[in-house]
Amino acid sequence: MLLLEYHNLLLKSILTERFNSATAASIDQVISDFDGVTFHISTPETKSKILVSISVKCYPDLLQHGAQQVLEREYGQYITETESGYDFSLMVDLENLPAEQEAKEDLIRRISLLKRNTMAAPFEKAIDEHHRLAEAAKGFNSETAPTGEGTEVMVIRYREEEAMYIQASHDRVTVIFSTVFREETDRIFGKVFLSEFVDARRRAIQNAPQVLYRNDPPLEIRNIPGVKDDGTGDIGYITFVLFPRHLTPQRREESISHIQTFRDYFHYHIKAAKAYMHSRMRRRVADFLKVLNRAKPEVEESEKKEKKTASGRSFRVQA
Amino acid sequence: MASQTPAVVMDNGTGYSKLGFAGNDSPSFVFPTAIAIKGSSGGGGGSGSGRPAVAQKPSYLTGGAGPAGHLSVKRGTEDLDYFIGDEALAQASGPGYGIHYPIRHGQVDNWDHMERFWQNSIFKYLRVEPEDHYFLLTEPPLNPPESRENTAEIMFETFNCAGLYIAVQAVLALAASWTSSKVQDRSLTGTVVDSGDGVTHVIPVAEGYVIGSSIKSIPIAGRDITFFVQSLLRDRNEPDSSLKTAEQIKEEFCYRFQKYVVEQLGGRKVTVDVGYERFLAPEIFFNPEIYSSDFLTPLPTVVDTVIQSSPIDVRRGLYKNIVLSGGSTLYKDFGRRLQRDIRHLVDARIRKSEEKSGGAKSGGLEVQVITHKRQRHGPWFGGSLLGQTPEFRSYCHTKAEYDEIGPSIVRRFALLGGPGQ
Ligand SMILES: Nc1ncnc2c1ncn2[C@@H]1O[C@H](COP(=O)(O)OP(=O)(O)OP(=O)(O)O)[C@@H](O)[C@H]1O
Ligand SMILES: [Mg+2]
Repeated sequence: MLLLEYHNLLLKSILTERFNSATAASIDQVISDFDGVTFHISTPETKSKILVSISVKCYPDLLQHGAQQVLEREYGQYITETESGYDFSLMVDLENLPAEQEAKEDLIRRISLLKRNTMAAPFEKAIDEHHRLAEAAKGFNSETAPTGEGTEVMVIRYREEEAMYIQASHDRVTVIFSTVFREETDRIFGKVFLSEFVDARRRAIQNAPQVLYRNDPPLEIRNIPGVKDDGTGDIGYITFVLFPRHLTPQRREESISHIQTFRDYFHYHIKAAKAYMHSRMRRRVADFLKVLNRAKPEVEESEKKEKKTASGRSFRVQA
Repeated sequence: MASQTPAVVMDNGTGYSKLGFAGNDSPSFVFPTAIAIKGSSGGGGGSGSGRPAVAQKPSYLTGGAGPAGHLSVKRGTEDLDYFIGDEALAQASGPGYGIHYPIRHGQVDNWDHMERFWQNSIFKYLRVEPEDHYFLLTEPPLNPPESRENTAEIMFETFNCAGLYIAVQAVLALAASWTSSKVQDRSLTGTVVDSGDGVTHVIPVAEGYVIGSSIKSIPIAGRDITFFVQSLLRDRNEPDSSLKTAEQIKEEFCYRFQKYVVEQLGGRKVTVDVGYERFLAPEIFFNPEIYSSDFLTPLPTVVDTVIQSSPIDVRRGLYKNIVLSGGSTLYKDFGRRLQRDIRHLVDARIRKSEEKSGGAKSGGLEVQVITHKRQRHGPWFGGSLLGQTPEFRSYCHTKAEYDEIGPSIVRRFALLGGPGQ
């Protein structure tokens, strides 16, 4: 598994099972997802009415940047009164499903992408903004072009100590992640991993977004309240620059999905790298043990007398 | 940080892994504890992969372990090219991947595979950032402390998980039985009969502590019953006698009166008669001689012996609360049968001692076998119950404590759900 999926596997499998099953069953599960997202899937009234609720840590930030509109566009008729303790709820009536299998599957897909869609709003806004600015910039030539840095930076505090910063301008959309390393080793792995990103771009994949990594806040976000440079390097800043080719109408959906999962993808790979190192270390130890065992003096073997029990059975000391 | 995230409960059994979040009443994922890895094959994949199995000896007895040699330098993503669970079984039936079972007889056997199995469980299936969650893992009775330490090393060093609790499956199974209406007091005293896929354990627990010296295990469990059913099918020349079919028959029909199983095999429908195996399969526990030639003690006798070898002051509690757990205890009337047989043994002994003492009447001894709704995933459900209590986190060891003291910290855990809660 190289990439993380965008959808929630459990939501998808529960819904697939419920949509295609003839028997009714009640559901009540609380499901966690990355980035402090919690789902609650339940059948509070009758077994045929499935309520899916989501709670997102940064929902207030998302609302500011148009989450409501995006969710209304994606889920329209399924939106229902928000369950208490959650931020947004959907209700699906099993007796009222679309008839065609394809439409059913599309509905399942859309619901299992609930987290992705909820968090997509600021990205969509930034991309729209970019197209607007790009359109406006067409009227200028290189001298008269506005030198302004682009729009105001959107801040999405999606985790306790980590945030995403998004800024649009006429020729790019910049996304900055701040991320905390809980451990020294993680930071080192993280650096290696990111330099591999930069390398890969240089070597082969030129049209990948530009990636920059640094330990102090990048220029774009220095003046934002709450961003501080504590000098310890515990917080890393990863900057992605999305160019117009990533922002075309055909590519934008995919770009948004990708970039959203970046933080978790990044930490997942740090952990995978550690697991890989561990397995190599275990192999090494096993190999060294073999060498050591070979070096044991032979005499010991010959001195070892076979011991017998009264009934004539022999036993050996376990190595 | 991480103030309201539910604890992650993982019960990795020999046959199946149960994964989910504390507070839910069933695990979110249940899939085989299997991992399919590119290249090296772990022996023929005769384990429910759908094709007619030829290997009588299951692959997990031969393959998968130890340092397999190649320490070649890899530069790429080969180490991520693997599948777990049902996907693993599906991949392994094709070319290219070999299947491995990281747990044997309840204990982790191959840590490389286990580490990767957990990695995929956490990131692909459960989708959690382990730094944000507390974890409750289970271990079999008499798990060596080194094994605990290895687990802690992986959970804390690879995954940086916020906190960790490792509970004994039997204790969790007792906690799970609290949902049964027959259980009046929430005590952690009782005898657990845990029969899963690989091994059956009879474990006496007194106030949350396992009486290690009295545990008995029986080398007969779900997998053997499946093989047994399969051999019966073969004897009768049924059109399909694959392990998978055998397992289905075992799970669906034993002790229930249905005649046929109709199943698809590459789109083809085959009808298999379900004969006397539906009675015989669970009977193995009560009359092991029909299947095995080296283990001959019936389950009720084992339970009785276990309790008799426990300290005298807890025996009454152990007889009164015999709790079933695990997939292979689900046969219809299994509990009733067990209770009846144990009661016979106990009554016979009481009568004898009454005769010996010349007329002194004994007050009798209550024998009760508890069957309950959560039995199938007993250990997982017990973990879910305890993991959602507000005090759960204070019983865990945290990452900071681990960093301070090292892996040996997990040798001890305070008893969760103990008296007074
Ligand atoms: N309804 C059923 N009737 C009989 N057997 C069943 C039923 N459902 C599941 N099983 C069997 O139970 C076994 C799995 O049980 P379980 O999940 O408790 O084992 P495990 O935890 O993986 O193994 P262990 O506890 O030995 O490590 C399988 O052999 C499965 O075929
Ligand atoms: Mg088990």
